[in-house]
Amino acid sequence: MNEAIKISKLKKRYGAHVVLDGLDFCVRQGEIFALLGANGAGKTTSLECIEGLRKYDSGSITVNGRTGIQLQSASLPEHIKPLEAVRLFAKWNKMTPDKAMLDALGIDALAKKQYYQLSTGQKRRLHLALALTRNPDILFLDEPTAGLDVEGRLSLHEQIRQLKAAGKTIVLASHDMAEVENLCDRIAILSGGRIAFIGTVRQLNETVGKHYNITIQTERRSETYESDNIEETLLSLLMQYRETGEHITDIQINRGSLEQHFMKIAKGEA
Amino acid sequence: MGAFLYGVFLQWKLDIRSKTLIITCYMVPLLFFAIMGGIFTSIMPEARDTLIQSMTVFGVTMGVFIGLPPSLVEIYGSDMKRVYKANGVPLSLGLVLTNFSAYIHLLIMSIILYIAAPLAFHAKLPENPALYFGSLAMFIAVSLSIADIIGLTVKDPAKTSMVSMIVFLPSILLSGIMFPIELLPEAFETAGKLFPASWGYRLMTAGTFQFENLLPLLIILILAVCVCVILLRRAAQD
Repeated sequence: MNEAIKISKLKKRYGAHVVLDGLDFCVRQGEIFALLGANGAGKTTSLECIEGLRKYDSGSITVNGRTGIQLQSASLPEHIKPLEAVRLFAKWNKMTPDKAMLDALGIDALAKKQYYQLSTGQKRRLHLALALTRNPDILFLDEPTAGLDVEGRLSLHEQIRQLKAAGKTIVLASHDMAEVENLCDRIAILSGGRIAFIGTVRQLNETVGKHYNITIQTERRSETYESDNIEETLLSLLMQYRETGEHITDIQINRGSLEQHFMKIAKGEA
Repeated sequence: MGAFLYGVFLQWKLDIRSKTLIITCYMVPLLFFAIMGGIFTSIMPEARDTLIQSMTVFGVTMGVFIGLPPSLVEIYGSDMKRVYKANGVPLSLGLVLTNFSAYIHLLIMSIILYIAAPLAFHAKLPENPALYFGSLAMFIAVSLSIADIIGLTVKDPAKTSMVSMIVFLPSILLSGIMFPIELLPEAFETAGKLFPASWGYRLMTAGTFQFENLLPLLIILILAVCVCVILLRRAAQD
């Protein structure tokens, strides 16, 4: 598979603080790729360097294709109507707005509303439409579903899947682990300005190991235990509860979430 | 060119939807004209000779310094500039479109005053209309350039109106439109020369073209445009 983006030895510092310390990774054409990282890990800085919105100190970035960018924090004149904004940006880029894309994002339905009257979800859809006006090959989405309700989130996920099906390469930064698990082909976890992990969600689970959460509910309390050896831990816990005479009303066992794996890697525990 | 014209047209519509600009560019100047025009001409009949010029200087100064900077702060003090940048739109576009639109609004307001003043208060029309409108065009451009600096410098919308007032009030009080500058203390008279309103008023009231009234406006315009270019470059690097 061809590379849509190639990052090599990327370095960036703010004063004495090193944010990106020789970042190396690539994004393949047609995949949904997620950048994850704790606050201050360099996620936004690396994304902005790739997008061309921020200068970097050294290294190289190769982007093969036209880009579209949806910023996490974005605004427009409060009295502008969605279609007017789309037309302005499209005209400036010598493009014609794609009617099908506008329909899919529900922009036509917002024709009479002004920007300040739009909900958070509607604004996000509008900014996604603006990012798509240049018919990009590569789409950058920074926290695309932040602040959206469940319905808005699912709707946007579906639109992102459709964009992938249309052949777009999508790079997204997200804190929503469920979103990353559901949408992404590959993920990269940033820690200390470097890539701590890169691969698929399955590979991440395999890397971190079999981690389980055991929640035991009694009539008086609910306790959650973490375990890397489910059989031993469960037997031991059942014995403890039997000795104390507490009556167990429910037991739930689940695999650790991507978030837990991510936190382990980010903290350097894995 | 099509994109630029669409941008100007769109900004014009946005300004009309925004109540702030309608109030500062039309309602307040025309209300001020209706009240002060009546007062001036009744207590000082000779005020009719310069009523169009004085009311126009007030209206332009009001519209420019109170109306324009908030629109610029909305663009350059917020994430909007990042949206421009991210979508391949030059950062200067917001400034250019806002200025074009404001220019047209202020010109319309000035024409309304030009037509209404003789009808309402028997105001005297300028002897040389071409010179008058040429001077007006220059005065609006210079005033806009100063307002641009305020809009590009101040990031906090709450502080914008305070900073604008620092320029607006002395412009009105020291320019000679309220009372002859010869009556002011010398220090105030000198201070008044720092503001484009003083030179704009002189240029518009002069019956003949006087380069010494145009030169200060040209110098202010060139300096202000240079400062705006620097501020825009700085904004692009943020």
